[in-house]
Amino acid sequence: MHYVVLRRILLTIPLMLAVVVVTFGLIHLAPGDPAYLLAGDAPTPEFLAQVRAEYGLDQPLGTQLLTYLGKAAQLDFGTSIYFKRPVFAVIFARVPATLLLTLCALALASVGGVLLGVTAARHRGTRIDGLLSAVSLVGYSIPTFWLGQLLVLVFAMSLNWLPTGGFTSTRITYTGLDYGIDVAKHLVLPVISLALFELGLIARFTRTAMIEALDRDYVTVAYAKGADTGRVLWRHALPNALLTTVTVIGLEFGVLLAGALVTETIFGWPGLGTLFYDAVFRRDFPLLTGCFIFAASAVIIANLLTDLLYAALDPRVRR
Amino acid sequence: MSGVSAITSAPLSRRRGRVPIAGFFGGALVCLVIIGAVFAPLLAGPDPGAMSDATFAHPGFAHPMGTDDLGRDVLARVLYGGRVSLVIGLASALVAVSIGTAIGAAAGYLGGVVDDALMRLTELFQVIPRFLLAIVVVALFGTGSLRLVLVIGLLSWPATTRIVRAQCLVLRGEEFILAAQMAGASPIRIILRHVLPNVAPYLLVSVTLQTGSAILVESFLSFLGLGDPALPSWGLLLQQAQIYLRSAWWMATFPGVALSATILGLNLLSDSVEGRFVARRDR
Repeated sequence: MHYVVLRRILLTIPLMLAVVVVTFGLIHLAPGDPAYLLAGDAPTPEFLAQVRAEYGLDQPLGTQLLTYLGKAAQLDFGTSIYFKRPVFAVIFARVPATLLLTLCALALASVGGVLLGVTAARHRGTRIDGLLSAVSLVGYSIPTFWLGQLLVLVFAMSLNWLPTGGFTSTRITYTGLDYGIDVAKHLVLPVISLALFELGLIARFTRTAMIEALDRDYVTVAYAKGADTGRVLWRHALPNALLTTVTVIGLEFGVLLAGALVTETIFGWPGLGTLFYDAVFRRDFPLLTGCFIFAASAVIIANLLTDLLYAALDPRVRR
Repeated sequence: MSGVSAITSAPLSRRRGRVPIAGFFGGALVCLVIIGAVFAPLLAGPDPGAMSDATFAHPGFAHPMGTDDLGRDVLARVLYGGRVSLVIGLASALVAVSIGTAIGAAAGYLGGVVDDALMRLTELFQVIPRFLLAIVVVALFGTGSLRLVLVIGLLSWPATTRIVRAQCLVLRGEEFILAAQMAGASPIRIILRHVLPNVAPYLLVSVTLQTGSAILVESFLSFLGLGDPALPSWGLLLQQAQIYLRSAWWMATFPGVALSATILGLNLLSDSVEGRFVARRDR
């Protein structure tokens, strides 16, 4: 058990290195002098010289790569051209908002998706199954950014139920519980638009896995021993089907982050997504590449956690 | 499908009957979009960029989908936008499936060290968030349709690789492959003439799925303002609609419906092709 876990944890190191190497490669393959990419379009000669020295840009490419890797290992991704602060500090300040958004969306998608998938599998082949499968397929097919626009159109602009965007109300400053409620109101639409894709995906995979589980002998045995349908579904079949669900959630974490990026830009949510988006248009390449390495590492760690969770859920993997 | 339980008592015929209807519906959606894109000049006039004085006209008789901020007909822009989205989507899918097939066939058929190395590479590409990497690449290298096709294609092959590799592993032990080897056929000939034809149905599913996914990535990039500005795709239309959400709902609604319907149609289609083929294998 410990060996498997340790091996899996160690496997993330080459992946992280590869992400940094890919980023380094892109910076050097891109047209133009890498020094200008790292120092901004119009740097002072002193700053340009400083960046050249810092990244060893007059050294051979191999040495440069080592310098870059060394800096990345120390979480030094350079200085943001726009914010004029260390990239990592800028990124880190935005993490809580994105974490709040993605975790809420993931929770909604997981609970909703599993409920939908189990119900569809329970009624396999009936109209209920057809309807639920259609709903999850439609949810899975609607692009996140368009869903966001539609939700704003209907619930914020036409019905005026919820705010169109932002993290809190700009006109009134709330404190304490009212602050929490204010944030929650701003959270509803972004969370729904981010969750729907994931919900459809989870429902589809859970349904398939449940149908497979329900065809197994242990389900027949459970029935033979007098277990009722609810118990068979939730205690016997679902834990087995959840293995698939967990894998899907882990594998799609990168898509969830990309979804968070567009959702944040539509709703003006002050997270990593808007930071990433703004970095593109401010041509703030240290920040952009820093955000990318950070996001890719988050995906790698999410995959690791998924695998560990999988091992915890499935005793067969541990052996 | 063995073991009939109390839970799954629905008659088999009904279960099987659903797949063709879904596939038919998906196929119809995709055909509709293709017809709209191909016959765009007949349906909406020759120039989707033609401006008029009728800015922000509500959907009505003259403009079924309304007009935008420059008085351009939204219907025309949606139909012509479909051309861009479909062509970029299909081209990227073909790039992705070609790379995926080559790598998957090499890994699965050759096995050993080659397989290990190629699979590590595949895992790396699978783990890197490709939407975000696509943004970084476009931000660093600039945009353009050809670049978009290459970027999306180069980042989307791992799914195909896994499918093709799995099939090759199965086929490698089959007698007709052994016979070909005995006859002295080269590995490349065996892969091209004996292995790949047997993988073809999976490739068809792959192209369908990848086209949908590539259309989504392209629209995502265009929505963020990183698409080809010279060729308005659905994503670009949605981006332009964003600032006018309050005043012109139709600018965001119709391109979005077209985009979602296309992706839904392709998903339904690939589901049913896959379902049919897997069912045939099970029998």
